[in-house]
Amino acid sequence: MSQLIVSIGREYGSGGHEIAVKLAERLGLKLYDRNLLEEIAKHKNVDYSELAKYDETPKKEILTRTVRGLSSSHEHNIANMQFDYLRKKASEGESFVVVGRCAESVLKDFEGLISIFVLGDIECRVQRIIKVRGMTESEARSAVSRHDRTRKAYHNDHSRMKWGDSRNYDITLNSSKLGIDNAVDLIEDYINKRTGNK
Amino acid sequence: MFAGIMAVIIFLAMFVLIVMDKIERHIVTLACAVLTIIFVFGIGMHSLTAINETLNVKNIFTASFWYQSGEASESAGGINWATIIFIAGMMIMVEGMARVGFFRWLCMKIAKWVHYKPVPIFITFMVLSSVLSMFIDSITVILFLAAVTIELAQMLKFNPVPVILTEIFCANLGGSATMCGDPPNIIIGTSLGYTFTDFITNAGVIAAISLVAVVIYFYLTMRKSIKTGEEVDVSALNIDPSSVITDKKGFILSSLIFILAVVLLVTHAQTGLTVAIIGVVIAVLTFIVSGKHILEVLKKVDYKTLLFFIGLFVVVGGLEQTKILELLAKFIENISGGNTVVMIAIILWLSAIASAFIDNIPFAATMIPVIRTLSATAGVPLDVMAWTLAIGTDIGGSATPIGASANVVGIAIASKNGYPVSWKKYCLSLAPATVIVLLISMACIYLRYL
Repeated sequence: MSQLIVSIGREYGSGGHEIAVKLAERLGLKLYDRNLLEEIAKHKNVDYSELAKYDETPKKEILTRTVRGLSSSHEHNIANMQFDYLRKKASEGESFVVVGRCAESVLKDFEGLISIFVLGDIECRVQRIIKVRGMTESEARSAVSRHDRTRKAYHNDHSRMKWGDSRNYDITLNSSKLGIDNAVDLIEDYINKRTGNK
Repeated sequence: MFAGIMAVIIFLAMFVLIVMDKIERHIVTLACAVLTIIFVFGIGMHSLTAINETLNVKNIFTASFWYQSGEASESAGGINWATIIFIAGMMIMVEGMARVGFFRWLCMKIAKWVHYKPVPIFITFMVLSSVLSMFIDSITVILFLAAVTIELAQMLKFNPVPVILTEIFCANLGGSATMCGDPPNIIIGTSLGYTFTDFITNAGVIAAISLVAVVIYFYLTMRKSIKTGEEVDVSALNIDPSSVITDKKGFILSSLIFILAVVLLVTHAQTGLTVAIIGVVIAVLTFIVSGKHILEVLKKVDYKTLLFFIGLFVVVGGLEQTKILELLAKFIENISGGNTVVMIAIILWLSAIASAFIDNIPFAATMIPVIRTLSATAGVPLDVMAWTLAIGTDIGGSATPIGASANVVGIAIASKNGYPVSWKKYCLSLAPATVIVLLISMACIYLRYL
């Protein structure tokens, strides 16, 4: 397998992003997360902060319309902008790790794709958010619930398969049981077995 | 009673589903049309006549559908086939023009004419948008204008957002000026028997006055936000407008067909040719000119919009046949106390506010039987209400990003190119202009007709 694309979907507070960062480092691959939109903004010569407002957010139920396949929903357009960019990168043969952005669905036709979904026990996720974001417990609980709801709606807007459904991913793993580093080891081991790098 | 209740339920369900935008709107209206035929006309009314009147197929096979020797007459309710055939013909012509690069060439030519200076581009593109939208559907106008605006903005380093927003507004305004400019107008014109001349000398005059006012308003409020401060050496840019023409012979012929369409429309009251036959003629000519590209042109025709119209007319036919719209007319008459001035104000502002949030085509189609009834029962001149309805629906649609199709297309093109325009930004920019034009229109209507 010459091309390697690792997509990492994640529940909020599960450490999925940190796992992606560590994995990209170990594999020597470029990581795409929010910087994907920064790169697009630079490429299009437009203001990144204007685009960032709509990153990974679901389309509004009302107040948007579609005419001749063109949608007035910025959430929809900016998501598609990122999907197109990811497809372009993948078509050019680039190997990378990508966080979220429905990458497991968007890039499912690429042979080199390995898709991971990281989840976690609710208590562990809340504790992690308290530690990392410096929130109170009630703030952390509501942030976890809000972000999960948003990510799920965003994902399911653009993908036939449901967010976090194990049938949609090569691996779904609970980071609360393993810890971040062990989770990275496990995924790396799986990747090595898949790619034949023992 | 059952038929009336079902007609209202189906109509409201159709509106809600259109607003939710989850299912494609042509599927929504067609499904609701089938339900109307089954539950309203069938189970509710047991009336084959109502079905026939609403489907209105017989009308196509009458001579007056294609040629009217005397004054244009009102058509019966139901599916307005003249509108559908005309819009289909115009769509084919426009696709033929787009294929040869007509719209891009026109935009580039005008940009060159004003020496690629951002503010003059801003002003000329507003006027261009209005004038083109008088004859061509505003979706196509904005599709090309917005794309070229972004292209020029990237090249000339100006902010395309105010330019696109004003193009959208002016497209809707230009569309209100003529019978063929905006779908509500063509439906009003063919349903109530008005000609191109009737529209241009009534709604057109109001649109022209409003255009002058909004160009000044937009110039005063937006010109500063266009410039980014970056200077570009225009002489170093090598832009040749004619390079965008993909087929020179096709370009000349398509331009001639467009001119012919304009001439036929302007003179249709004199020649007796109906908009249906004009639609067929320009479609056939476009096919001949397109030659081997016929399929390419046909594939791009927005048949979904045509199906949307067919379904919509049947659902509105359900309300009409069950006399629900007469109740609505009675309600408007009662709250206005039979006062014409108040009734006109209600129609104008109700149409505008409704069109700002919901598709103005179903709204206009619903209101036509209402104003027809009001004219018969309250004695308000039908033509005055027709111009009021046309202006209200066409202009009101500019106030929000979802009010009219052109807005959606303009916003979508800006967004896809990295310039998302929020609801707040859009409304702050265009809602005041909408109110200004509505006030000008109201003053014009009161001064001229009442």
